[in-house]
Amino acid sequence: MRRLLRGLCLWLALSAGPAWADAPKPFTVATPAALQQRFAGQPYLLAFWSIDCPHCQGELEGFARLLRERPKLPLVLVAVDAPAQAPQVAARLAELGLSDADNWQFAEARPERLRFAVDRQWRGELPRSYLFDAAHRRQAVSGALSEAAVRRWLETLPD
Amino acid sequence: MVRIFWAALLLGLAGAGLAQDMPAARHDMAAKWLARQAVARPLALAASFDAKGRLWAAWVEGGQLRVARSEDGRHFTWPVIVNALPETIAAEGESRPQLAVSGDGTLHLVWSIALAKPYTGHVRYSRSTDGGRSFSAPITLNDDSAEISHRFPALLVEGRRVLVAWLDARERQAAQAAGEKFAGASLYLAESGDGGASFGPNRRFVAHSCECCRLALAWRQGAPMALWRQVFDGGVRDFALADLRDPASLQRASDDDWRIDGCPHHGGGLAADDQGRLHLVWFTQGRLRQGLFYRHADPGRFSPPMKFGNDAAQAGHPAVLATGRNVTLAWLEFDGQTNQVWTLHSRDRGRHWGPPRRLATSAGGVDYPILLARAGKPWLVWHSEREGLRAWALTP
Repeated sequence: MRRLLRGLCLWLALSAGPAWADAPKPFTVATPAALQQRFAGQPYLLAFWSIDCPHCQGELEGFARLLRERPKLPLVLVAVDAPAQAPQVAARLAELGLSDADNWQFAEARPERLRFAVDRQWRGELPRSYLFDAAHRRQAVSGALSEAAVRRWLETLPD
Repeated sequence: MVRIFWAALLLGLAGAGLAQDMPAARHDMAAKWLARQAVARPLALAASFDAKGRLWAAWVEGGQLRVARSEDGRHFTWPVIVNALPETIAAEGESRPQLAVSGDGTLHLVWSIALAKPYTGHVRYSRSTDGGRSFSAPITLNDDSAEISHRFPALLVEGRRVLVAWLDARERQAAQAAGEKFAGASLYLAESGDGGASFGPNRRFVAHSCECCRLALAWRQGAPMALWRQVFDGGVRDFALADLRDPASLQRASDDDWRIDGCPHHGGGLAADDQGRLHLVWFTQGRLRQGLFYRHADPGRFSPPMKFGNDAAQAGHPAVLATGRNVTLAWLEFDGQTNQVWTLHSRDRGRHWGPPRRLATSAGGVDYPILLARAGKPWLVWHSEREGLRAWALTP
């Protein structure tokens, strides 16, 4: 536990530093509720990915294209990789042109705790996405969201 | 003190690996493994009882596979190192070293090592013919050396027969080079008839397996049987069952209709009882059913799927064991605070089941539960961060 806390402190210190300004923010058990508050009354897309997930890469490329078209797309990206993987996550985001997206990364050594805070039913399969409507009713999707599916969802959003 | 020493050595290794490889490849998976394992010792391990009822365990520390033995399931001998030269050994979730002990006491180990390119690896093998005092120099079992995926090995041993199956990207690579699409990976085999002294050529068993779910193997009255997640038409990732001697024996083992453009990282479990009935467990989020399921299979007939586990507690990673007429299921749940191992028992070859029982909990990180037979009785082995390795004799 002490080691975990130390790691977390180090992680927070690093993420707060100016050189890490665009590093993913730490995703904790409190983050899902914080996101609901931030997007109160608005739809948003919460998408989980990993540097270890081949199927996530194509989906992320699609998100990058969409973000170029619609910079205000309410899209939250969360890497489920362990805190120690921060450099690899940041490098992958940079390659995909997604460094400026709303990026988060799992900040706990026990991913099951964070998954539980998001959705008790989610067993960790990736990619995993949640499409929230304005009332925050959500649709869970396992597997890559096609660009077409995201565009269909976008059409249901108010401009 | 010993732990500090290893941590220091590991950090040194990881640092060296990163420094060396950073400029060349931005995501060097080999360096990534070392860095990850430097932070936390992987929890994923392999375990097996030998014919004398002694428990053997194999785990990874500092890129080295270590093997130790226990007479009582609690106290272990000083570990023996399998690979003198550290390797980037995969030891996480579905991808972990495998250990089997044949009747004559020979120890067999397979594992996969991560290569620099993401999602690639080689399958490695080593054995001990002197009761675990020393191990043969590891060899690579996949007979192509391409930097592609040869990963998720599984091991099946009986007498002098040693069968290794793994997920292989050769066909996928060839298809992609020809500009074609290829769903999933392929299931490949290597077999030894001389107790692991030598292996025959690699054999491609079937194309379009899921690319990152563990394989489950079991002997059914001398026939090597396999259960794995297969990519069926339309990208449906349900389970397939086959006799590994004959690709034409492949049959669909679950019809959950899980269409997923992704990898569940969640394979199944397989056991055979001594009358030749197969017992299957698996996870799905298909259109037709969701959660953990059990069914048994006699030639030409499957029982209807039986659901178990609590979906609201992430019930997952099931295991199955058959001992005589007894069938035992075990799986993992998480209640928001603690990880828990649950079990279910049947005394009549899977027809009737007792109530689910919570066997153990842990408030830290955990490995999957492992079911093993010891002198015809069911045992459960569970490795957790806080409690270490624990073993229980189960009462059916």
